[in-house]
Amino acid sequence: MQASRARLFKEYKEVQREKSADPDIQLVCDDSNIFKWTALIKGPTETPYEGGVFQLAFVIPEQYPLSPPQVRFLTKIFHPNVHFKTGEICLDILKNAWSPAWTLQSVCRAIIALMAHPEPDSPLNCDSGNLLRSGDVRGFRSMARMYTRLAAMPKKG
Amino acid sequence: MANSASLPALSSSPNDLRKKKRANRSAKLKQCKLDARRDQWLSQVKNKGSNGESSPPIPSTRPIGPRKLDPARDNAAAAESLLGLQDSETEFAAGRRIARKDDRPCSSSISSGCFSGSATEDDEEEDGDSTALDDWEAVADALIADHHHLEEPKPSITAPVPTPAPPSVTPKPPEPRAWRPDDAFRPSSLPNLSKQRSFDVSRGFRNGGRTVVSVSVPSSCPICYEDLDVTDTSFLPCSCGFRLCLFCHKRILEADGRCPGCRKPYGMILDGSPPVFLLSRSCSMNIR
Repeated sequence: MQASRARLFKEYKEVQREKSADPDIQLVCDDSNIFKWTALIKGPTETPYEGGVFQLAFVIPEQYPLSPPQVRFLTKIFHPNVHFKTGEICLDILKNAWSPAWTLQSVCRAIIALMAHPEPDSPLNCDSGNLLRSGDVRGFRSMARMYTRLAAMPKKG
Repeated sequence: MANSASLPALSSSPNDLRKKKRANRSAKLKQCKLDARRDQWLSQVKNKGSNGESSPPIPSTRPIGPRKLDPARDNAAAAESLLGLQDSETEFAAGRRIARKDDRPCSSSISSGCFSGSATEDDEEEDGDSTALDDWEAVADALIADHHHLEEPKPSITAPVPTPAPPSVTPKPPEPRAWRPDDAFRPSSLPNLSKQRSFDVSRGFRNGGRTVVSVSVPSSCPICYEDLDVTDTSFLPCSCGFRLCLFCHKRILEADGRCPGCRKPYGMILDGSPPVFLLSRSCSMNIR
């Protein structure tokens, strides 16, 4: 408990210090609870998610960093490895491949990498996975693009 | 092993008097930490003994990570940049770190480029610097200094001529290297050579390498972000070269027991030889 708090506090300071270090990631800690964080990540370029801003919710267990944070998308996203309804993310480093050397920041980076490189063979979103597995890249891209526009882009007046 | 076990009992040298003085301030905490350390250290030595004397494959500083991202390296880079920025910008640093920076001459000797094995020793000889020095760290350093007094150090790895130096005499000439490990401009992707070298020394005979390590690898634990102290920096639990502090190592052993750098179980050697006793032994030993 104490260790996780100390570590999160240091990560918080790190984030504050390097705010401009990674413009694609904006990590914000909950005002009253250091075990709850949200992150805003920019969709990687040359993907259907480009131009979108996606919100992630972090819930950090007391055993952190020995056990991984729970992360899910708050913003709707059409991606093979993200559950369309719950936003749950299927990513090995958030499960069995977690290492205590990872930080919230590096998790964000991993999620951005996952957005750019979906793995349709372990899908949480079967529709999306099936489109990619059947080779319908165009179909996948247009669906993903549509949901990016709908959910992850600022509405234009 | 017997030496280190009997170390705290020695009280002849002035170092020890100082040590005692410091120890009185928060004896409990220190003793706890020291005990944990000694346990870890002993098990580490035992582990090494059972590994045989043949040198293992040189561990790469870059752990075999999954996917594209490399958390260990990221953290190392972060730590380095943090250290690099320290001079100008201290507000973000934890108070302990500031205290260290200000009070330990060895830090300044780093930035002046002097890589002497005796720098920390000198540091220990001066009593005046102890005002804000972290207590248990001081104790640990003093222990190591004692260690040096007991067993005549054979420090040099690079130089074939063994430096006879008793701790507080002439510093060794700075080792030639392109980038100092604490250099702010050093590319973070470069492997840290001094770590590897000190590893080789310290695994052979655990006295000479220590001070060199403490001078040339100023870093913080990538798990808890606390500063690595002398014992921690000479502690290399996994052959992949991933370093962490003894506290975190213990916690990991109590959890899944895998190295954060390469995700292999601790005690597993790179060449696939069967796991050694370290894991089970440390687990059973460290029950609070």
